[in-house]
Amino acid sequence: MTVAAGSGLVADGISLGFGGLQVLSDVSLTLRPGVITGLIGPNGAGKTSLFNCLTGLYRGQRGHSSFAGRPLDGMGPAQRAGCGITRSFQNLAMCPDLSLLENVLVGLTLKRRSGWFSAFVPTPAQRAEQQDTERRAMAALNELGIASAAHQKPSDLPPGTLRLAEIARAIASEPRAILLDEPAAGLNAVETRDLIRALKRLMRPDLVLLVVEHDMDLIMELCEHIYVLNFGKMIADGTPAEIRAHPDVIRVYLGDDADD
Amino acid sequence: MAVSDLAHASKVSASARGGHVDIARLSVLALVAVLALLPLLAGGFLLYSLSLSIANAVAVLSVSMLVRYGGEVSIGHSFFVALGAYAVAIVEHRLGLSIAVSLPLAILLGAGGGFIFAFPSRRLSGIYLAVATMALALALPEILIGFEKFTGGFEGLYIAQDLVPGVSKALQRYYVTLVVLIVVCLALAHFRKSAQGLALLMAQAQPRAAEAMGITRSWARISIFTVSAALASLAGALTGFASSTVSPNSFTFFSGVFLLVGSVVSLNRLSLPAALVGGAFITLVPTYLAKAGDWVPILYGVALVAVTLAANAGDLRRFVPGRRAR
Ligand SMILES: Nc1ncnc2c1ncn2[C@@H]1O[C@H](COP(=O)(O)OP(=O)(O)OP(=O)(O)O)[C@@H](O)[C@H]1O
Ligand SMILES: [Mg+2]
Repeated sequence: MTVAAGSGLVADGISLGFGGLQVLSDVSLTLRPGVITGLIGPNGAGKTSLFNCLTGLYRGQRGHSSFAGRPLDGMGPAQRAGCGITRSFQNLAMCPDLSLLENVLVGLTLKRRSGWFSAFVPTPAQRAEQQDTERRAMAALNELGIASAAHQKPSDLPPGTLRLAEIARAIASEPRAILLDEPAAGLNAVETRDLIRALKRLMRPDLVLLVVEHDMDLIMELCEHIYVLNFGKMIADGTPAEIRAHPDVIRVYLGDDADD
Repeated sequence: MAVSDLAHASKVSASARGGHVDIARLSVLALVAVLALLPLLAGGFLLYSLSLSIANAVAVLSVSMLVRYGGEVSIGHSFFVALGAYAVAIVEHRLGLSIAVSLPLAILLGAGGGFIFAFPSRRLSGIYLAVATMALALALPEILIGFEKFTGGFEGLYIAQDLVPGVSKALQRYYVTLVVLIVVCLALAHFRKSAQGLALLMAQAQPRAAEAMGITRSWARISIFTVSAALASLAGALTGFASSTVSPNSFTFFSGVFLLVGSVVSLNRLSLPAALVGGAFITLVPTYLAKAGDWVPILYGVALVAVTLAANAGDLRRFVPGRRAR
């Protein structure tokens, strides 16, 4: 699959292996701005690995990626973050020493300009920036309905709240692309509702949004376009209706059920 | 920011709630008051030792800061302490200027020295970084003696200039170091809330997540080492001023080890009371035990055991009450 340059976040022919294990084989996908894209697949299909390739944590052995026409190849994770790509982590990446609010504040690091002097000595500019970033972080927590937990430590909070905080951190910096790895894992029905509502509200015409999920109902409701990964290969992509009717997808998911 | 922030530099959110925190604040204020009045009670050698303890408290903070924000252990921070101490002495001897000039200069020199060391070793961590810092500490005496023309060689140099003319030397030493220590603790409390402070804590706890937020590991390593070395150099300037002399004897390999011991004794905390405990330990214990000569080898043994523990500082901190294991 080849894709016109300049359209969103594009991965083309990504292959990744660890030792003898081929985790991704010639995987391509196009995440268009303004469209909520879903990525599904059984456990170990390579979804998180693909995320890691897109965000630069892993380097694929082959393939290219680009964002808004700009090649990302050779860029590390921090540089890709600088391009406006943010993500959440499947295995909650909270700093235990920081409050929930501070954990979200870290997501705004690249937006902050205050220098080393004002890191030690309070200055009016630094104070203004502090208030501004705190306001934005609080707004993100608020958007996901967890503002009341802002000043608590992660160790005192249930996993559902931490999951939502992961997402708050990813959206707080007003990024141009957001990749969410199983954002609804561990959420109860009410929290999942809130999450879907928040993500839909978040959507803008210029935003790239990719959601990895096991929860089929959520993916079908949320996404306009869905990719299906199995054993490191992209086996299907299309609208929710197309995916639901796709024979390979049915086989993978029914086969999965039979295994359980 | 208030002086009360000194109580729990690393527990900002806690101060927002809970009545027990006010007790902590009050006790730190009381501690500051006691420290301010101490020269009325103590004089002579005791006051001199206290001044040195306070200067060493700042040095202990520089090591603790590296542990807290970088998760790294340095055995060679005595190198940067020496840099600051000799800066004060050389500025006085060559330019005839007091610590009003050499104190800020020491901070800059320490930052520069820290950066020059940290940049090539930015990929080192854990025991490898510790060994690299050890090389600094081992090279130091040779450097000091090699540059005899500037450093005074074995003899060292005297530091005689006052900061405030007309005030007794003993009082100057004490109050200047005390004020700097308090300012450093306030600055560290502020740092805990700063963008850089948060970024460093995140880089340490979740390096991959931090990278995905634009915080690279090499940035974190270089920054924390540079800042910590600047603080160590400031501490060195205070040590020089408080002891009125610098010589290679004060900066042996073991001074670096002792700084680490002081940091362990203060549980790597960045608060005023903790820093004072660490600084007093590494100043007063050798001073008073050295008189009982037989004790010195035992003291060294204890120090080495403490270093082994410090190398596992992350594990050690798990035993501190109120801190959850990672
Ligand atoms: N760093 C690594 N080293 C070795 N193998 C890895 C590494 N990262 C992932 N893998 C392997 O790659 C395969 C795909 O893992 P990945 O985490 O991408 O799957 P996933 O689709 O996200 O699964 P899940 O639904 O369980 O999150 C797995 O077999 C995993 O063991
Ligand atoms: Mg996964």
